[in-house]
Amino acid sequence: MTAIALAAGALPAGTGTHTILAEEFHAPGLGLFEWEPLFNIGPVGVTKPMVLAVVLSGLLIAFFWAAFRRPQIVPRGVQNVGEVGYLFIRDDIARNIIGKKGDQYVPLLFALFFFIWTFNLASVIPIAQFPVTSRFGYPAVLAAIVYVTWVGVGIKAHGLGGFFKAQIPTGLPKAIYPLIIPIEYASNLIVRPFTHSVRLFANMFAGHLLIALFAITAWHFLVEQPTVLGFGVGIIGVLMTIVMTAFELLIQALQAFIFTLLAASYIGSALEEAH
Amino acid sequence: MSVLAEVTGSIGSVGYGLAAIGPGIGIGIVFGLGVQAIARQPEAYNLIFRNMILGFAFAEALALIGLVMPFVYGT
Amino acid sequence: MSQDGQDHQDPQNIAWSIVSYLLSGILVWGGVGWLLDRWIGSSPVFTVIGILGGCGLGIYLGYMRFTRP
Repeated sequence: MTAIALAAGALPAGTGTHTILAEEFHAPGLGLFEWEPLFNIGPVGVTKPMVLAVVLSGLLIAFFWAAFRRPQIVPRGVQNVGEVGYLFIRDDIARNIIGKKGDQYVPLLFALFFFIWTFNLASVIPIAQFPVTSRFGYPAVLAAIVYVTWVGVGIKAHGLGGFFKAQIPTGLPKAIYPLIIPIEYASNLIVRPFTHSVRLFANMFAGHLLIALFAITAWHFLVEQPTVLGFGVGIIGVLMTIVMTAFELLIQALQAFIFTLLAASYIGSALEEAH
Repeated sequence: MSVLAEVTGSIGSVGYGLAAIGPGIGIGIVFGLGVQAIARQPEAYNLIFRNMILGFAFAEALALIGLVMPFVYGT
Repeated sequence: MSQDGQDHQDPQNIAWSIVSYLLSGILVWGGVGWLLDRWIGSSPVFTVIGILGGCGLGIYLGYMRFTRP
């Protein structure tokens, strides 16, 4: 932790000694993301993010089950909303990026988008207020699923040797190849799933930390230790909490969209690796 | 002479934060001017986009080196 | 890739590919430089050379892949 300390006697004599202690205001740190188990099922402690994940997954499944249970040609009621979601994934993501043969991957992309978006939205839902995807395990597993999918699809489409050979760029001077090939393989097979998951994780982690920081600022300076000087800081805290919540709503949807878009792009490029 | 102000803790993260200012501004300038150029002459999109990507690669390289250096020289 | 008239990859994909090439170049050749340092025992000379070289190679690969028609 980086701390900045100002010595009490450093100011000129006319201003009077006023020590600002950084230790009185406890800014949120990594402890914001650690949870004690609520209860134990056998040897496994069930924490709040796990409960949130299960409850939100159940709600999502129930919603789309109700939407698509008895599909009609002219949709009525919930099926309308379900169809908007499904057609968004099928037309704007799968068919745009992969083409017509992406239709068989639409269930995976559909599940990814809506699960990630709902898990992100838990950050602003009042009782939950914790984005489930800000614990690294969740984006890591989702990125691992996408990784296994596109590597499997690539190997099935081109054969094992063909899959590795298709990733080598063409048109470079021959002497450079031994230097470039490790970079290409490391970039596709090692760094790609890492950046895929870390992008989602870091955005949700930082967003949650920012909202918590501004909320704690507002609480500390307005309720816990109100001072005349600190009142302005508290008001700024309240305003910034509102602004950051609005910004987070945008970022949650955007990150879910980018994750699904990149998943479709990796699958599409594995199917057509001909350069 | 007594210490008037000090920064303790992880100076690597402070170093990375300072190192990210330049590339942030640089990438913003590259893409901002690139978008303006595309708006002025949409037919030249491919040419402008290729050069925009080249400028982005150079600016981003500095940011990533700034990310890695604290680990190299870390205490 | 999918529809005609579109450039060969989505721009966002290209940008993230370049970041990925840079990062992999730094990690791979920085790693090689670091291993060389441990073998020879010099101060982080080869690590820094590896990082800068990997960075340059990553830029070169991104340039060759995405900015030539």
